[in-house]
Amino acid sequence: MKVGSLHFDRPEHLVATCPASERGLSRDSIRLMVSTSEGHQHTQFHNLADQFRTGDVLVVNNSATMPASLPAEGRIGEFRLNLATDYGRGLWLAEPRWSVSQPGPLALKHGDVISIGELQAKLIAPYPNLPRLWFVQFDGCVVCSMDKIGEPIRYGYVKSAYDLQHYQTVFSRVRGSVEMPSAAYPFTESVVESLKHKGVQIAEITLHTGVSSLEVEVDDIEAHTLYPEPFSVSDETAQIINQAKEDNQRIVAVGTTVVRALESSWNGTVVQAKSGFTRRYIHPKVGIHVIDGLITGLHDPVTSHLAMLYTVASEDRIREAYREAIAEGYLWHEFGDSHLIWRG
Amino acid sequence: MTQQKLALITGGSKGLGKTLAGWLVHQGYDLILTARTADTLTATASELETADASIHALVGDVSDEAHQQAIADVVANYGQLDLLFNNASTLGTLPMPSLTDYDLDALAHVFRVNVIAPITLTQKLLPYLSDGLVVNLSSDAALGGYAGWGAYGASKAALDLISKTLANELHAQNVAVISVDPGDMRTDMHQDAFPNDDISDRPLPDVTLPFWGWLLGQDHMAISGQRFSAQAEVWEVTS
Repeated sequence: MKVGSLHFDRPEHLVATCPASERGLSRDSIRLMVSTSEGHQHTQFHNLADQFRTGDVLVVNNSATMPASLPAEGRIGEFRLNLATDYGRGLWLAEPRWSVSQPGPLALKHGDVISIGELQAKLIAPYPNLPRLWFVQFDGCVVCSMDKIGEPIRYGYVKSAYDLQHYQTVFSRVRGSVEMPSAAYPFTESVVESLKHKGVQIAEITLHTGVSSLEVEVDDIEAHTLYPEPFSVSDETAQIINQAKEDNQRIVAVGTTVVRALESSWNGTVVQAKSGFTRRYIHPKVGIHVIDGLITGLHDPVTSHLAMLYTVASEDRIREAYREAIAEGYLWHEFGDSHLIWRG
Repeated sequence: MTQQKLALITGGSKGLGKTLAGWLVHQGYDLILTARTADTLTATASELETADASIHALVGDVSDEAHQQAIADVVANYGQLDLLFNNASTLGTLPMPSLTDYDLDALAHVFRVNVIAPITLTQKLLPYLSDGLVVNLSSDAALGGYAGWGAYGASKAALDLISKTLANELHAQNVAVISVDPGDMRTDMHQDAFPNDDISDRPLPDVTLPFWGWLLGQDHMAISGQRFSAQAEVWEVTS
């Protein structure tokens, strides 16, 4: 598939620039578009349960967000270090940036030593083919530093800093993401209750998100580099999904992270319990095997997530949905509106 | 920074070995690098030299007993070895003959370098490897059965089984052993295997750096006995 397939025009102003509560909304009153082979319906997120049947399985990401943007100082002056992924033993993948709105480039070198609060860290190497990301070796407790001086990662379109609570979802239990697994943002206790009441089972996976990936820069989208993220699918979740599939019940993923984790655990026949790091990239050539539906936000032009959406439904149907979303004034990004896409 | 640790990389002057060395130097390891060609090894050692790490460059063939002893002497001097990368290996006769045409002495040499040498080094260095990790570099040829790759492939298949066996045998001593297929890379060795091909579409060895970063961050005993593919989409911990 050529990168041109991922292009569309999204009007600049269709962006959620603050949490729902700041816009006078409860999370579950944001809009929900439902796309099926019949067309696209528009409703509010609190009506989600209407789209489900008894026995359907909703798979959610239980990863909680950490305040992963840290003030840093080095030879080049003051900058921000947005942590992406914990590789263990003090090694992190991170994105040095000048500021929330200004990415880089920063003239950093192998071996540079930087200070982050009380910690020292050394730049080991840039990520192959993604030079904006660096491997950084810390000499102390990184999570402690985050709790002391970290802020939630945000980008220029979010105009003010908001508390970490705005970046947690109703499913957040296991700390480790640096950006909110935002497909679950509109879920509230009451939405969960209404789903359970309907007889929908909820199963959990863990996938700790890294920093947002940039636009696809290669001509063939399959050649785009995704970097790996830690994930874990439990035996219990694997069993719930396999049983439901055997009973011809539907599996719905809440978020692209869930799709990645489940496809990484698919052995060709069933989902197996698995943990590790995955950079599985889902696009129409590799197909999708586990899910029947996906709840997700609205994705920007030229991002690899669109290729996943084209795998769940067709490119034509996603393009049609996005035309409707734009016409209806849906909002993009983590605090924005929601989209349920049924497969086929 | 963190306490100084020691890593040994055989075949450390170029290709994957050199890439690994560059990573480990910045992560706070002292290094022992070995290679057969003095010039290349000296150049790599001086290129990697930093204020924070010492590099011991030992010229020799991993299958040579005197060279093995020289390595063991440096390690003994340190008193502990954290990482052993059995990375040096030979493709054997070039261009690679089919097994039915393979000279048997040449075949034995492939096994001496690719199989016996890693075992010998593990034996000799075992007293210093407590809590350490032994990484044996394998290849997809170990599984492939590709025509012409019989000698090299069989030696790597043997190395895979040796890794798994050693992992079981050394578990009680807290020594972890794994094997890693780094995947196709743009190296001199890969060019030797495909003398008439343009290999510029293969990634440079630094494509494996995220994997090594991840691997070294794992609990060694939790991954001992596993075989990894550095360029795979999923790095799984099976225990």
